[in-house]
Amino acid sequence: MIKKILIVNRGEIAVRIIKACRELSITSAALYSEADKDSLHVRLADEAYFIGASPSSESYLNVPKIIALAKQINASAIHPGYGFLSENADFIQAVEEAGIIFIGPRSESVRLMGDKTSARKLMSTSNVPIVPGTTSPIASVEEGKKTALEIGYPILLKASAGGGGKGMRKVISESEFESSLSAAQNEARKAFGNPAVYIEKFIENPKHIEVQIIADHHGNYAHLFERDCSIQRRHQKVIEEAPSTFVDEELRKKLTTAAINAARACGYYNAGTIEFLVDKHKNFYFLEMNTRLQVEHPVTELITGLDLVKEQISIAEGKPLSFRQEDISIHGHAIECRVYAEDVDNNFVPSTGRIKLHRRPDGIGIRVDTGIDPFSNVSMFYDPLLTKVIAWGRTRQEAIERMKRALGEYKIAGVLTNIAACHWVLKQEQFTDGSFDINFVEEIFMPLIPDKWKAEQAQDYEDVVSILAVLLKSKMCEPLPSENKVQKTNKWTGQMYE
Amino acid sequence: MNEYVATLNGKKKTFKILDSGKLLYNEKEVEYSLLKVSEYSYLLKIGNKVYDITTTDLSQDKFGFLVDGHYFETVIRTKLQEKAQELQNIKNKENHHDLIKSPMPGMILKIKKQVGDKIEMGESVVILEAMKMENDLHAPSSGVVKEIFVKEGSSVEKDVVLLTIS
Repeated sequence: MIKKILIVNRGEIAVRIIKACRELSITSAALYSEADKDSLHVRLADEAYFIGASPSSESYLNVPKIIALAKQINASAIHPGYGFLSENADFIQAVEEAGIIFIGPRSESVRLMGDKTSARKLMSTSNVPIVPGTTSPIASVEEGKKTALEIGYPILLKASAGGGGKGMRKVISESEFESSLSAAQNEARKAFGNPAVYIEKFIENPKHIEVQIIADHHGNYAHLFERDCSIQRRHQKVIEEAPSTFVDEELRKKLTTAAINAARACGYYNAGTIEFLVDKHKNFYFLEMNTRLQVEHPVTELITGLDLVKEQISIAEGKPLSFRQEDISIHGHAIECRVYAEDVDNNFVPSTGRIKLHRRPDGIGIRVDTGIDPFSNVSMFYDPLLTKVIAWGRTRQEAIERMKRALGEYKIAGVLTNIAACHWVLKQEQFTDGSFDINFVEEIFMPLIPDKWKAEQAQDYEDVVSILAVLLKSKMCEPLPSENKVQKTNKWTGQMYE
Repeated sequence: MNEYVATLNGKKKTFKILDSGKLLYNEKEVEYSLLKVSEYSYLLKIGNKVYDITTTDLSQDKFGFLVDGHYFETVIRTKLQEKAQELQNIKNKENHHDLIKSPMPGMILKIKKQVGDKIEMGESVVILEAMKMENDLHAPSSGVVKEIFVKEGSSVEKDVVLLTIS
């Protein structure tokens, strides 16, 4: 039995894991860097330990310190969240060797799926369709050119050790091949310390659709349907939903079967995600496996009713899955918007500062997973994700309407956010009719920056904010009168509602 | 001193504040009542509708407003300041002089130009790393790099002038 979990993460996902621990009566131990000492996860955890200076390399990525701390505080398990050390096979191995339970897959599975070319090789022999291309790194320019011709331009050069769009280049014709190759190799060397690059066919206007899988230590595998994460900018997801409007029963069966094949192939257990690109003819191709909990897991929780973090903990304790595949079905529709601290109109630069005001949306069908509260400091050291707003509805349309309502209720001051941009996307025809693909943000939204996307906003809002601006400038507004003190007499007596 | 010009989404609106609770907006009289909930939150009532508006003070004349999932940035000046600004704009155009500032604290990862290099408006000139992300800073105008004030690898605060263009 797990008694205490050390959460090796920060922000909203640390808070999410703390909540699961509390419900299970497990002690939650948080760790925090210098910049995070006032953070929400530090306030909410049962125990909180200072781990190091603000840069991630000295705090949330400092493996020796983290392992030593886990031993010192008698943590029975470590939950890595997402990002940071969650997919670092060496870290997972160090946890295993320290005799601490890792809440996630075994290090071998992570190692197998972490190297993109070895994962492609494994998938191609395990009944999981891969994007046409090479399964090993390019050895020479000549060989690469030959392969590219066979596959047919346009092609994509990708880093073997890659992720997040680094070391990735689209090549339209052979004349660009050599220069693109050396650029991709340079980027890959800088970003991952490994210059190996391979070739994939470039899929035109695909959707990004992924399947959540979950497996226990006893060989039981299940899938929890798909998520559509096509609204993304520079490979960073912004809006996700489940199920996908594009996936029919036939495609769903094929995708989920392939996903479970992929998980079996690497001897996977715990929660994981298999990402696919799906073209407009409903052909699908393995993209990569995320061997951890995903940022967007709440949409799956809302349509299945499961608690994925609790399920992860129970699997790590060696228990079998708490459900059977046939017990699970899709219930309604869920959408998630990621609220980032960023200045959309100024090239999406991250926005830093202290949170001055924070009022979260609420009401029927709304879930808010957040890592901030008033006085939290949004620093330049970490990912700018602040909050995830998740809406559930019986239908997709109801979920969209709820999400728009919820984004309207969200009040935040101190940093700039993408709330209005998310609100805008939800109103676009390509989003409501489901025809959007992974190029939506770059092709439809970005050309409207900085002012055009806001031009269609309601006239009365333009009027009232202008009036408020004038009043603020002219100092016409009075502060709250001081008579508003807390009343201690019970003036409601005799006015109780039945 | 009670006349103002608001610029929002490229449109200009004129205001004149009358007695308390009344103002002229583009020559039309508007009645309002305003409650300040906190430095960042205001309730503005116009007619029978109350608007709950969150605000961020961006700079001396610039405010950001969040209302019902919509975001606006408004520059507000007195009529006199607006006139001065217009003159300044004309002067700036003549001098053809501009600068790139750091929009946030971070580290200068790369400077793609040297003093004397030609530069196109919108061209990426500096890469600033902040929050684990690489941010392209673009040239606000075309011209020639006049001066560079930072080195690759150096850390900068917000609003530091990185280079000037002439």
